[in-house]
Amino acid sequence: MAKHPSSGKYAIIGLGVIAGPQPDRHQRMVAAEAARLAIVDAGLTPADIGGAIDLRRTGGGGDRANYTDAYSRVLGLKNNFYFVVGRGGALAGLGIATAISFLDRGIADYVCLMGAVADWTHSQESKKQGHRGMSHADKEGYWGKALGDLRAVSHHSWMAARHMAVYGTTSEQLGAISVQQREWACKNPEAKMYGRPMTIEDHQNSPLVVEPYHLFDICQVSDGGIAFILTTAERAKDAPKTPVAVLGQGFGEVSAELWWENKHFTHMAVAPAKEQAFGQAGLGISDIDCAQLYDCFTSEVMFQLEDYGWCEKGEGGAFVAEGPIGPGGSIPVNTGGGLLSCYHLGDLTGMAESIRQLRGEAGDHQIEDCEVVMTTGHGGELLSPGMCSIHTCTLLGRGL
Amino acid sequence: MSDNDNVITVTGEWRKPPINVDIDNRPFYDGLKAHKLLLWHCNQCGAWYWPKSYCQNHENEPFAANMEWTEASGKGKVFAFNRHHWAFHPGFKDDVPYVYALIELDEGPLISTTLVGETPDDVHDIGQEVEIVYEDHPDQGFTLPRFRMTGN
Repeated sequence: MAKHPSSGKYAIIGLGVIAGPQPDRHQRMVAAEAARLAIVDAGLTPADIGGAIDLRRTGGGGDRANYTDAYSRVLGLKNNFYFVVGRGGALAGLGIATAISFLDRGIADYVCLMGAVADWTHSQESKKQGHRGMSHADKEGYWGKALGDLRAVSHHSWMAARHMAVYGTTSEQLGAISVQQREWACKNPEAKMYGRPMTIEDHQNSPLVVEPYHLFDICQVSDGGIAFILTTAERAKDAPKTPVAVLGQGFGEVSAELWWENKHFTHMAVAPAKEQAFGQAGLGISDIDCAQLYDCFTSEVMFQLEDYGWCEKGEGGAFVAEGPIGPGGSIPVNTGGGLLSCYHLGDLTGMAESIRQLRGEAGDHQIEDCEVVMTTGHGGELLSPGMCSIHTCTLLGRGL
Repeated sequence: MSDNDNVITVTGEWRKPPINVDIDNRPFYDGLKAHKLLLWHCNQCGAWYWPKSYCQNHENEPFAANMEWTEASGKGKVFAFNRHHWAFHPGFKDDVPYVYALIELDEGPLISTTLVGETPDDVHDIGQEVEIVYEDHPDQGFTLPRFRMTGN
């Protein structure tokens, strides 16, 4: 397949990760420190960074980073631009697409992209006021809060319920996704659930939070920050670490075709995103060595396995039950543990894992001969009442 | 069935998140207070929407002036549902477990709300027929739409 001229012309050369609870630090310092680590990792200094993008989880359930400071100020970046990009958990994919337009015109030689959250710390405060989950992320303008549509799981769980009703999928099959991702997390010391193996029985015995979802179908809330540096392939040749090339990107919205018209609650907006990303890269899904699929809940992983074509629509439950996404499986998924078992920094969780896999820095969870990785993101209002939700797909490759 | 069967009155302090009334959806909330379910209806082609939107079937007049709020049947079917076992907000502590459902109205649009009049275990399948129940909150001056099962 012919590549798009943009494929491989831009690359990630630096990565900074701050993981785990940060109760003693404000998000401002976590954000700045993640960016500093990425700049150092790229062999650069703050003076090299021509622009900074803040990846914030706006536009979904709420603004998860609603303080007014800018990490570029905290770090003293003398850049030409700083602004916010993001839609729910869709952050890194949108950020890369945005940064490329600045690199392409020579407005910046290097762009720093950083996302930080303090959801875990804030949720501890919420608990004291009788809330569960991220009450700090509450946002006005939604239908349903007064009636009990209080968290993402309040409406995302409908999708699992629909898949079960239409295709006969079972809770145990969804549990298989959670169990296999936990196997990955147990190979990743950075993961929240490292050292805590889990069985299907554990999944089934975990509390019903919003039926059909058990607690272990639901992603975590986390603290932390992840930053990476994007530049042109030409400049990336001088980077100290193995560059990670952007091979292709695609985007889709579920708003009209899938939801409003057809009321398909068992799909993600994969079709256009897949066509765009794989078309640009000249690749097919058989070229993917591991996939970081956005896993806010277990069903979303299953939908994507179906929608990308690793199995047929409706057969995702039986497919995952065979164990294909865990260590040693045919299509390793969320190889650091994902949002379910590692930590939740939106699609930055998967992006950081992809970069590490392609650099060969993934330790015990490293995929052998990892050359091409896909990272997906998802975010935005699901149905409260805006029936809009974005899907992003980014294909990255090892080297230039 | 008399009108009274379709009305619930709840008095006292409101401890849940506020309703979100704005200039676009105010007629919808006013309709609920008058015990009417209003949907956004295209005068040109008859298509129904909720919430307010431009008609998808043809060109629209400026600000969708070809459409207006119109009383709907208040009947529909359960499209998807879940059972909340956790009260994420303290105002729902006495409500759990509650069923939060996505209702496909007979006119086509989807609306989400809780089901009343039955225990959660009575909701067992998608496709069950439901109709609107108006939950009046006279102390706060608003009405919420809820649904109850009417058939199989």
